[in-house]
Amino acid sequence: MDILEKLQILGAAAKYDVSCASSGSKRETNYGIGSTFTAGICHSWTDDGRCISLLKILFTNECIFDCAYCVNRKSNDIKRATFTPFEIAELTINFYKRNYIEGLFLSSAIKNSPDWTMEMLYKTVYLLRYKYQFNGYIHVKAIPYASLDLIRKTGFLADRMSVNIELPSEKSLKLLCPNKTKESILKPMEFITKVGEEERNFVSAGQSTQMIIGATDDSDRKIITLSQNLYKKFKLKRVYYSAYTPVNDDPRILKVEKPPLLREHRLYQADWLIRVYNFTADELFEKDENLDLEVDPKVMWALRHLDRFPVEVNRASYEDLIRVPGIGIKSARRIIKNRIFHSLDFDDLKKIGVVLKRAKYFITCNGKTYERHLIDTAPEKIKLQLIEKRVAEQKVHQLSFFDTETFGSVITGEI
Amino acid sequence: MYRVFLYDGTFEGFLTCAERILSVDIDIEKLRIENKSTYQPMFFDTAVFVNANKGISNMLKERIIKKADKNTFKKIYYCFLSEVQNKEMYIYKYIKLVLKQGKKVKYFYHDDVVNFVEKVSKSVSREIGKYMGLMRFNESEDGLLYAQFEPVNDILVPISYFFRGRLANFRWIIHDKKRGKLSFYENGRIRFLKKADLKTAFSNEDLLYQNLWKTYFKTMTIEERKNLKLQRQNMPKKYWKYLTEKK
Repeated sequence: MDILEKLQILGAAAKYDVSCASSGSKRETNYGIGSTFTAGICHSWTDDGRCISLLKILFTNECIFDCAYCVNRKSNDIKRATFTPFEIAELTINFYKRNYIEGLFLSSAIKNSPDWTMEMLYKTVYLLRYKYQFNGYIHVKAIPYASLDLIRKTGFLADRMSVNIELPSEKSLKLLCPNKTKESILKPMEFITKVGEEERNFVSAGQSTQMIIGATDDSDRKIITLSQNLYKKFKLKRVYYSAYTPVNDDPRILKVEKPPLLREHRLYQADWLIRVYNFTADELFEKDENLDLEVDPKVMWALRHLDRFPVEVNRASYEDLIRVPGIGIKSARRIIKNRIFHSLDFDDLKKIGVVLKRAKYFITCNGKTYERHLIDTAPEKIKLQLIEKRVAEQKVHQLSFFDTETFGSVITGEI
Repeated sequence: MYRVFLYDGTFEGFLTCAERILSVDIDIEKLRIENKSTYQPMFFDTAVFVNANKGISNMLKERIIKKADKNTFKKIYYCFLSEVQNKEMYIYKYIKLVLKQGKKVKYFYHDDVVNFVEKVSKSVSREIGKYMGLMRFNESEDGLLYAQFEPVNDILVPISYFFRGRLANFRWIIHDKKRGKLSFYENGRIRFLKKADLKTAFSNEDLLYQNLWKTYFKTMTIEERKNLKLQRQNMPKKYWKYLTEKK
């Protein structure tokens, strides 16, 4: 099989993996090829609008496992291929020097055995780092059930490692991945966290994971609570959510017509509130429920807590300001810096970057509301005003917005 | 009736000019700073040309960094790289403000000059960021990498320094087709040259990798998520001309 066909098969097989971040690592050396850039760099955008930053491929799509949702599962009759470490290294270097990519994202199905697969991933990365002296970004998957020693060796060569949590609950995992157990996923995850805390050069851009949304009946509350625990316990840098794209017709999977993109988008927003805005899952949800699809999670929360509003912009604390819909981290900081010089009115807020369209229902400037009738309005009425047009049109921003991890460049994720 | 100070079009020249004016403190309403090559003399104006001077421009640079910080100076530099009309006077007023108030000027949202510099420098910075990812190099038979682009702003210098850190082991050229100039990198050194035309040919190996990349690019689309509007939003059409995957 020629390299073009392999690339086609093993690229297509990797495309459902959503992570493409190349951020969080800064390496500038005066030998070898390449560097990494703290904020991460996108190199292209596919027809679905997702960014391409890394050469995202599988080492092989031959799999001994049979997970219900996975296109590469053993029981599927598809074309199979396997790269050699040398082929991947050549592809990476040649793509990199033409500036097509920022580095390599290497994942794999499990061929022969977990250890055999992990060994191959290790060999590939080793070749790139030592023979080719490649300094660009490398993200490698840790294979469930692989020996921790192999994972450790690989982690010293990679910028980021990830173990896919796959599904939001043990019940769902049992149902859809009979070959994987909770332990087989959490053990390597915990191991990577532990070594990462002890060793400086181990997985320097941290660890991430991803889960599939919409293939099972797990609620958003369950999902966000899980993420919150993953951030806390394993110090993960990111949890990615992947709206399930129906690739297999399997009775165990919920019927999915189209990937639930809007739900995925809302989960990313809620995730953002947890990581950056100090919200907790228990605050966002009142019961075992899903996020409101019509408004973003911050608005959803605010409408349920109207007693905490309006917030007086000229006096409120930073913590209270960032909880106002339409005020983000950046504008909250600016408000605090700026109100030292003079008291702020609505015009100032506009210049600062506050989205008044949303914020006006929740704030006062020197005791005044934006328009006179805005106070004491019922939540349902405010909500009607705030339902986003683009939601109605089902046009949703995805992914690439959320890839910047550095605080300074956090702009678009603000809600 | 203006007093017009002309500079040679370089950043160094501009800073020298600004330092000169600062030291004599002229009424800002009667002052203009203009690029010599585009200046059209008016009847009542008195124009002087100020020679670029590395020592003087560096002095001003150090003063700005000392009073504010490196980031503020970078904003000034980026703003200068834009081709917005009348940028010189805005930047001059900004420098004056910074020398008086320090780095807190970035919080002066009500100030038009600050707003101008913030906005323009951000758009320049954004374009540099885009081209870090969207520049495409082709390789010739003898291993020379060649990229061409037509940036809105004059960003050849900063983008070349970025690629010096990245493609240090190679020889390469980045060609600004719009302004007819290029940077040539070899053995750790970048040279900036003026040249409008350049003949280059890809190697066969390069064609192979172009093809592989195009295939990969197509393969990565998830059909069920197709969203061409989002694609164009992130990667506007003006970038497509030199993109291998869009040819």
